[in-house]
Amino acid sequence: MESRVTAKAEEIQDVSAVIRGFERLGYVMDRALATAVYLLIELGKPLLIEGHAGVGKTEVAKVLASLLDTELIRLQCYEGLDVNSAVYEWNYQKQLLAIKIREGTDGTVEEKEKYIFGPDFLLQRPLLQSIRAEEASPVLLVDEIDRADEAFEAFLLELLSEFQISLPEMGTIKAKHIPYVVLTSNRSRELSDALKRRCLYHWIDYPSLEKELKIVRTKLPRLEEELSTQVVRFVQAVRQRRLAKPPGVAETLDCALALRSLGKDRLEAEAIEATLGCILKSAEDIAKIKAEGIDKILSQVV
Amino acid sequence: MRKRELLQERSDGLVRVIVEFCRFARANGLGVGVKETIDSLEAARTVRITDREAFKFALRAVLCSSKQEWDLFDHIFEVFWSGAEHELQAASHTGNKWTVNSGQWTADRSEFFFNCPLTTDHCPLFGEDGGKAVSGASVYERLKKTDFSRVPHSDLASLEQLSLRLLRQMSVRLSRKLKIMQSRGPVDLRRTIRRSIGRGGDPLDLSYKGKKTQPVKLVTLLDVSGSMELYSVFLLKFVYALQKHFTRVDSFMFSTRLVNITDALRTQLLPAALMALSQTEAGWSGGTKIGESLRDFNRLYGGKLLSRDTLSVIFSDGWDTGEPQVLAGELSAIKRRVRKLIWLNPLLGLDNYQPMTRGMSAALPYIDVFAAAHNLESLLELERHLKPSLFR
Repeated sequence: MESRVTAKAEEIQDVSAVIRGFERLGYVMDRALATAVYLLIELGKPLLIEGHAGVGKTEVAKVLASLLDTELIRLQCYEGLDVNSAVYEWNYQKQLLAIKIREGTDGTVEEKEKYIFGPDFLLQRPLLQSIRAEEASPVLLVDEIDRADEAFEAFLLELLSEFQISLPEMGTIKAKHIPYVVLTSNRSRELSDALKRRCLYHWIDYPSLEKELKIVRTKLPRLEEELSTQVVRFVQAVRQRRLAKPPGVAETLDCALALRSLGKDRLEAEAIEATLGCILKSAEDIAKIKAEGIDKILSQVV
Repeated sequence: MRKRELLQERSDGLVRVIVEFCRFARANGLGVGVKETIDSLEAARTVRITDREAFKFALRAVLCSSKQEWDLFDHIFEVFWSGAEHELQAASHTGNKWTVNSGQWTADRSEFFFNCPLTTDHCPLFGEDGGKAVSGASVYERLKKTDFSRVPHSDLASLEQLSLRLLRQMSVRLSRKLKIMQSRGPVDLRRTIRRSIGRGGDPLDLSYKGKKTQPVKLVTLLDVSGSMELYSVFLLKFVYALQKHFTRVDSFMFSTRLVNITDALRTQLLPAALMALSQTEAGWSGGTKIGESLRDFNRLYGGKLLSRDTLSVIFSDGWDTGEPQVLAGELSAIKRRVRKLIWLNPLLGLDNYQPMTRGMSAALPYIDVFAAAHNLESLLELERHLKPSLFR
């Protein structure tokens, strides 16, 4: 019997409820993203979130799982990800031992085979776990789908259409509770059209000054106001420069934390120099910013 | 009774107008099909449609599937729902959000191509009435042989279409070659155990996995200085078409300086890349410094990108205003590290061309394959140099 709503999900009547729920859990939400999440819950369509690194794509899935009080199942994608790592694998060592132990005992080959390829020896990986949830619909996070290859995308597409998997040894397994699926991508490559069309789409951009300030104040409430404002302004200014790896919100938070642990209560050039590695993650970018002059950028923002 | 009829009418009306909006969106560049239209009706049913913002966000989540469509959507939505559809219709055939103020470019044919993305999916000219196909094999032959710099304006659209089709076919052929070359690989544990059940658990019959395809990487360096201007567009499309067959494709442009366009090429943001290049330089008219650009490449990226399984392709006519020793030195450095170095020179398409320029002569000893790249035909002939069998 398929069922899609958890107890909490039924309570979510509209978009505002999503916003309130997320903000209560510390995620600064905007109406557009809340609408997309609301449609994910109501329509059951997977949600594809694209954006640069560090803007909070993965967070959405985590917070959603907390909001709905359900399990978060995460599949981290990488090049070469295949069915064995994503869906299931057999516990070969255990199987070999079992075969040896049963050698010479009664039983037909078919019976032994059935035992060897039975649930005791099955290692369930995230995709299979997500459709075998017993109590409530879990949230399935397929992280960085752009790192997997086209063959995997085709397989995933099939799963997202039917929510069932056919294992040669165990038959077809249908989802009892259809999972809420969130996919994230860094846009390092174009995803296949079929997959994109299957999903709702949302693009998370770098936040505005006000939004980023709100995020820092929400996540680090005990940070001095002046310091947080200056850090956010500084990172926003750095993002304007043409960099190979612009800093995301995660980097802003790191920088703020680093400065606090260094005992600073305001932004100074030498403090920034010491913590530049929190904001910039490539040697060329660091060289570029240093060449322009940290003092110069600082004077523009403070 | 009356009220129910009224409500029914109103909801029918709403359905009609949403379907109309979807058609409008499709006409203006969004990939909206029947399925998306149905989804948008479902979405509209769940949100409060009197809230215009919520309605817009809901439709946007359903109808868009990429950042480019996302950026287009707001404008399309505003125009439709404020009634000024005719404005947008007229604007749609002269370009869309990808139109870039290419102030530095003078040749209007270049502008034509830079405003047209790398695939025909959303190119305004290939909508319902744009695809007036040029028929006849002889016309194709002529187009294939026409030098890129001398294509008449009227033929540009046909050449575009033809090149995309033929490059796609080449693409398919290359990928087939890679798949065929699989021999026995490592033992497949799963299947072996399966087979061992009948043997009391002893793996007497081994099963093998197919051999993994060899990773081949491509590094392309494209000269975009004045003399190469008209060829570079087509060459970029060629590189774009090759992206699927190589584990990794890294692309760079150079004129007086080197610019990394790998990411731009992957996400089809071509005009943005060229804008970036033109902004960081003093314009295209300065002489090309091939040697120095290669030196920058070797210094910044050589270590990371060049290796035994890499194929390196340089597109340039060899007119170097720098010292030929520098060019020779950098080329030898590249040659030492890669499997193959290919230099493609459009001038080879000219009859009686002899590489007499100092730059080109200095470069010749280090080049494995020296070929022409002046028309579609010559680009397609490169297929045999890209065959993976040569990478054993």
